[in-house]
Amino acid sequence: MKDTYIFAIESSCDETSASIVKNGSVEIATVVLSQMDIHAEYGGVVPEIASRHHIENVTMVLEEVLEKSNMSMDDIDAIAVTYGPGLIGSLLIGVQVAKTLSLVYNKPLVPVHHIAGHIYANNLVKPMEFPLIALVVSGGHTKLIYMKEDYSFEEIGGTLDDAVGEAYDKVARVLGLPYPGGPMIDKLSLEGQDTYTLPIPLDDNSYNFSFSGLKSAVINLVHNEKQRGNEIRIADLATTFQNRAIDVLTKKTMRALKEYHVKHLIIAGGVSANKILRNRFQELCLENNIELIVPKMKYCTDNAAMIGAAGYYAYKLGRRAGLDLNAKATDSLK
Amino acid sequence: MISLFLDSASTYMMVGIYRDTEELYLKIEENDNQLSEKLLPAVKKAFDTVGIPLSNIDRIYVVNGPGSFTGVRIGCSVAKTIAWALKKEIIPISELELLASTDTGDQNKIPMIDARHNSVYTGIYDAELNSLMEDCYTSLDEILPKITENTVVISTDSYDFETMLPKVNIPLIIEKHKQDTPVNPHGLNPNYLKRTEAEEKHDSNCG
Repeated sequence: MKDTYIFAIESSCDETSASIVKNGSVEIATVVLSQMDIHAEYGGVVPEIASRHHIENVTMVLEEVLEKSNMSMDDIDAIAVTYGPGLIGSLLIGVQVAKTLSLVYNKPLVPVHHIAGHIYANNLVKPMEFPLIALVVSGGHTKLIYMKEDYSFEEIGGTLDDAVGEAYDKVARVLGLPYPGGPMIDKLSLEGQDTYTLPIPLDDNSYNFSFSGLKSAVINLVHNEKQRGNEIRIADLATTFQNRAIDVLTKKTMRALKEYHVKHLIIAGGVSANKILRNRFQELCLENNIELIVPKMKYCTDNAAMIGAAGYYAYKLGRRAGLDLNAKATDSLK
Repeated sequence: MISLFLDSASTYMMVGIYRDTEELYLKIEENDNQLSEKLLPAVKKAFDTVGIPLSNIDRIYVVNGPGSFTGVRIGCSVAKTIAWALKKEIIPISELELLASTDTGDQNKIPMIDARHNSVYTGIYDAELNSLMEDCYTSLDEILPKITENTVVISTDSYDFETMLPKVNIPLIIEKHKQDTPVNPHGLNPNYLKRTEAEEKHDSNCG
């Protein structure tokens, strides 16, 4: 069978990325230009600054990925692009560029949902097997998704307020840790003890999550301890917070696997880089005879390779967009 | 020489195709916040109507600001991607100069675009569109004294009263810029004339 090459573009937040992916599973070349250092000065991503950097860098990123791949646009079967969800100004750059390439080279245009991309990052590790449960954990998303086959997404639960990664970043800020705080909390928790009293968030029978209460509990605890003149044991508090967050994520995910009679679990999104989260799931999956796939570290954060992987399956299903494709800040996964 | 002209920085979206300074096609449409959806279909329609392929153009003139930050970026991302992909020349055009072209009198022209907070994007141009004061972001108080009986102020609502569309003189703009050195497509970027609020706040806190 003839190979299918997807040229993919991702610009939903603060990474400008392009990639060429073969058959949805083989990464030929990827370029990711991160603005993390720029936004670190502001303690978080500033949308207007992100948009400005995307437009300045985008054609250089396209050129570099073609150079790295030793391919030309003639070899490409379709253009895939993240159309949402994400920061609208950032998304718009990728969408306009992808549409322009589609017009110039007369290639089909395939719209890809950002979360589908995060899930399909795992297909670059090994072919995904179905049915599966995907836990998507990032700065913008916390979702449990049941997939009975390729490109079929049934959301069985999600966060009712903050995404887990957002809670990590806010807690890190309260603890005085530099941005991005998630990885810092993960690192600190290797040294700390679970000695503080914090609630397990939304510990119920649903598949939904809520991290806002846990975040507020940390903020209140820090405030009260400071008022009492007590020293905050940062590593211990980071450990306690992380344990509560991961407890609820693992508990609900393992229950979903059991209730849906699923033997395959994939973890996706930026927080899937978290070491404690990975270790805990590895242990639980081993105990319960579940096959776990986690993305390579380089695919955890936003990148276009994952959009190329998802884009291949969307392309095969005949999903197409016209030159009137718009970016969407919010959109459900379907 | 075949040129594509694009402007999505203001309240009107403009897509034109020119042979030297001869207009082969020009579509001016009020920008109703659907710019992201409309610009590329409009570009495709322009070439389909004229009957020449996009790849046959020699050059792109694109308005790169000042104006709506998002609008400028939409136009620039399309223009720079075409220029990069097809290895075409690209020349940035000021939205203020385009506004100045709507007046055909002999007086000096002061185009102004509202930038809110009692401020404007403005510049001063002579009748041949030579810049007498560089485009800038400034307070109204700074620019008002420069308005004399020898100047004419032009704002975005200078319509042609028959068509109710801005009477821009794109051939004059092309004539004026035909000798310009094209920029590298990677370096074709918006000219916002204003830093982001986050940067301004950040620097004032640090300073």
